[in-house]
Amino acid sequence: MKCLDHERLFGYAHGLLGEQKAAEIRAHLAGCSPCRLIVEHYQRLDAALEEWKPTEPSAWFDARVRQAVEAQEARRAASGSWGLEWVRGLALASLGVLVIAGVAWLTYRHRSVSTPATLATQQAPQMATTQAPSEVAKLNPVAVTPRQGEKTGKPAPELQSGSTALGEDEDVGALDDYDLVANFDVLSEIPKKNAGVAN
Amino acid sequence: MAMESDLELMLRVRAGDAASFETLLRRYRLPLVSFFHRMVRDPALAEDLAQEAFLRVYRARERYQPEARFTTWLYRIATNLALNAIRDRKDAVPEPSDDDPDGGPARERFVDSKPTAEQQLLQDDRRRLIRQAVQSLPGNQRAAVILHKYQEVDYRQIATILSVSESAVKSLLFRAYETLRMRLEPLLREGQI
Repeated sequence: MKCLDHERLFGYAHGLLGEQKAAEIRAHLAGCSPCRLIVEHYQRLDAALEEWKPTEPSAWFDARVRQAVEAQEARRAASGSWGLEWVRGLALASLGVLVIAGVAWLTYRHRSVSTPATLATQQAPQMATTQAPSEVAKLNPVAVTPRQGEKTGKPAPELQSGSTALGEDEDVGALDDYDLVANFDVLSEIPKKNAGVAN
Repeated sequence: MAMESDLELMLRVRAGDAASFETLLRRYRLPLVSFFHRMVRDPALAEDLAQEAFLRVYRARERYQPEARFTTWLYRIATNLALNAIRDRKDAVPEPSDDDPDGGPARERFVDSKPTAEQQLLQDDRRRLIRQAVQSLPGNQRAAVILHKYQEVDYRQIATILSVSESAVKSLLFRAYETLRMRLEPLLREGQI
């Protein structure tokens, strides 16, 4: 006689099968001692597991739960009011940042449109100490306009201000500024020194 | 006065009735602490987890929908907590000491029929082996056995709690019992179980 698979025997031992299937297994068990032993083991195992009795909570368990619930309520109440303040504060801070950024942007726009020469004056000394005139020219063409007749060793860069090219005979307002012209003197010395070193 | 159903109590808790929460706490404190103790083996952790389960019930009271039985919802919360705890401290489960063969507190005891000292030793050893066998089952199988055997939760409820099908629950239980049967075969063969 071929033994039944254990899953069916387990189902039988735990009453999971319908009456017809249970009757079939009962008939099989009557003539199959190994299967009978397996069913018996499942049942004895069940009985042994039932001996494991519940664990009593400690005497202070209920008090701990109550305390945890109260703490939860307190946190909730606190976070509710604080949360509102937080949202309000964040909104005000965002508004402040927007206003400052807007003012800064408008100021920058206004300066860059109305006083390009002033900007050139401010930038030229800093650039002169760290950058070659050709590099400065790329950044700010107006600031490195060579004096008439002076040789730089290189062809003069094409000068542009914004999208408008400047011719040699055109008047550049920035050159009227004494400080700016003085800075050109400094700049004009740099290529010569560099050239001397290179030689 | 007829005992109020869990559902009625929970609906009152949802409406803000603290006394109903107290009733649920008294009703389920023993089953929950026992469930967690069987699941995680550590009595102090079991109480912490039971407390957390009650707290979660309280927190979620406003979202509670009486679609399923209250115990299904409660044990779903509890099972998730227990499985997370098992996963978090997988290798940190303390082995039962020699002084305490059951590995649990003195207040937890198996059924005792006044055995002799020698019988007591044998019984202690047998209980320890059974407990170890159950607690070495994979988390889902352990939860299925404990919910089915001790918490009186039916197969359909276990399926909802574990988010599996009913046939998967039967399969989980079969594999769990088969593992227990093989691990405890010496005791079964010798008639100690």
